[in-house]
Amino acid sequence: MRALERPAHRLLRAADAAANRLYGWHLNPIYQTGAIAVALLAVLIATGLYLLLFYRVGAPWASVAHLQADPWLGRWLRSLHRFASDALVVAVALHAWRMFAQARAWGARALAWSSGVILLAVLLASGWTGYVMVWDAFGARLAISGARLFDALPVLSEPMRRIFAGDQPIPGAFFFLNLFLHVALPLGAAAGLWIHLSRLARPTLSPPRALLIVGIGALVALSILAPSPLAGEANMLAVAPHVAVDLFYAFWLPWADALPPWLAWTGAATTLGVALIIPVVTRRPRTGKDAPSVVDDRHCTGCNQCPVDCPWEAITMIPRTDGRTTLVARVDPSRCVSCGICAGSCAPMGVGPAHRAGRDQLEALRLVLGASPPGFSGRVVAICCEHAAPAHLAPLRAAGAHVELLGCAGNLHSSVIELSLRGGAAGVMVFTCPPRDCRGREGPKWLHERLYNDREAELQARVDRQRVAIGVMAAGDLAGTLVAWHDFTRRLAPAPPEPLISVDEDLDALCDPQPLASRVERQ
Amino acid sequence: MTTRAVLGRLVGGVASIATLALLRAGSLTSMQTASDDAAVLRLSWSARPERIESCHRLSDTELAARPAHMRMRWECEGQFATYGVTVRTDGRVFVSDTVRGGGLRHDRSMHVFREFALRAGSRRIELELRRIEADTRSDAAESAAVASGSADANRETREAQERRTRRSESLPSLLRIDTTFTVPPRSVVLVTYVVAERRLVLRTP
Repeated sequence: MRALERPAHRLLRAADAAANRLYGWHLNPIYQTGAIAVALLAVLIATGLYLLLFYRVGAPWASVAHLQADPWLGRWLRSLHRFASDALVVAVALHAWRMFAQARAWGARALAWSSGVILLAVLLASGWTGYVMVWDAFGARLAISGARLFDALPVLSEPMRRIFAGDQPIPGAFFFLNLFLHVALPLGAAAGLWIHLSRLARPTLSPPRALLIVGIGALVALSILAPSPLAGEANMLAVAPHVAVDLFYAFWLPWADALPPWLAWTGAATTLGVALIIPVVTRRPRTGKDAPSVVDDRHCTGCNQCPVDCPWEAITMIPRTDGRTTLVARVDPSRCVSCGICAGSCAPMGVGPAHRAGRDQLEALRLVLGASPPGFSGRVVAICCEHAAPAHLAPLRAAGAHVELLGCAGNLHSSVIELSLRGGAAGVMVFTCPPRDCRGREGPKWLHERLYNDREAELQARVDRQRVAIGVMAAGDLAGTLVAWHDFTRRLAPAPPEPLISVDEDLDALCDPQPLASRVERQ
Repeated sequence: MTTRAVLGRLVGGVASIATLALLRAGSLTSMQTASDDAAVLRLSWSARPERIESCHRLSDTELAARPAHMRMRWECEGQFATYGVTVRTDGRVFVSDTVRGGGLRHDRSMHVFREFALRAGSRRIELELRRIEADTRSDAAESAAVASGSADANRETREAQERRTRRSESLPSLLRIDTTFTVPPRSVVLVTYVVAERRLVLRTP
């Protein structure tokens, strides 16, 4: 399964690049698939409530036909309900694809993945019941195919398909049960959504307003200009040679009809099983870049910043056992996704994944500074998220940048920027991935807060903000990357700075606002 | 915004419209599910299978030994019948199968739902539903409305009536349809069992 991740990722990056070229990274819909799905669910609930007012289980098709005959509201609201449900399937499928391709389905994310798979199954089942409600040729086809599959299970002795034999009217109880399911399944999905998001701090539930308005507006326009037609009422004593099928919800129909029911069930169960075991088969060893964060108790001041910043609620504060009066942070490895956001949030550099904590970053930078004396010698440093756009690194180097890579921009400890400038860099530009595509979820947001809004671990006031910048490096938007780079370097050009200190100075102590020795002494 | 970016947004607009068109096309894909001259022969019924049983009349002593709520003059043991169903169209055997009552012990109604593709046009349909087991019923139980004037005469009469009713509600041992008719295109020909008439009927649109 992991062998599939690489081609899936290549394909995803190509799609991202294309969408970035067409819409810009701010409005790239492929970055927002999860939030778009939630927005579409809201549209479905709103339009569904209206449609429900007119639905009659005693005359299903006639009540839908009555709605369809209303050109002012009913017809296009019904179409909007249908097209939004189709778009929802697309959004969910793209969302799953992104999570799989970016290896974001295992570990702490396994619950989100598994619940997402179940939610998708519930969505498809809900769509199934929705089309049966209409009771046109397609609805009847879905009902009969579903009954055929259901009849293969040893549940009822009387075949469910007998309902649709045509020797008697379809009982109202069937439509009532179907309506109940169509309402109950989305309610269940809402509860499932809560589980899906339960491990996330501050989940993003809405796409950017412009995208939301344009996206929903486009669906409304489609519903008004090209509404979904209503086929004739289902006739159990007639064969419909052509049926207008919704492929998003009935892609399985040709196979289910052609295969023996047991084989169709086996196929469905296998597909579901494979989807559910993806977290297991894509699991990585918790070492190297996937090692969970750890806390160095000696440096933790109990400031409570890392639990606040952690996008996965993996950190809690507990009483200390070493006699000091403050609390100490504890990382739950089962909830930690190794994003490293905590490394950037800890002023005394006491938390972070192994080899990626603040002190490790300073150490690595010190090695770079030591290897190219004297320091950066007036060069501009580009610190780039390694996931953002690898294809942009070579052009950046060609443009004169000294490029350093980081697992996530949110990992970056502000002291690294200060040390780079003190080490002779003319400026430091941090390139993040597009904020809605951050694998650490909140890296760009926290980086911005730490550099410009004094969020812990803030960039010290003594650092000249004119020599620091944040840019976004989005796949397919090399021009945007280079424009941001050249704007920054032009701004720097007039006054190349002098190194403020020697690289041999005790930089940890200088960057640490509260040296360890004094903290321990006071407590 | 650069010219290139503006051009990108324009192409993006066109791509969005194309995506919407694709969404609508995917939502309303016409799928051919049958040929224009296709028709369907559908067998669909629910009926109680016959009970194949042997009965014997309890003596007064035997009857007295039973708990009060289980005293029946005639005690019958047996099973529900199994049926062979055969369907031929224009002499070609469509299906030759065995059907029996529902439930784990096959003591529930027998439910049948089968569909077969037909071509429109004039067709001869032969359908036979024949009980497989031989009838081992003791006619004595059937005609045992004893008029002996005993104290249990009413009970015995009632038991006999109940057996006759159950028998009349169950499938006959042989049902057959053999008819030639014109099957309209895109139609469903339904064969069902009418309980009140105890016969199979064929319905066409």
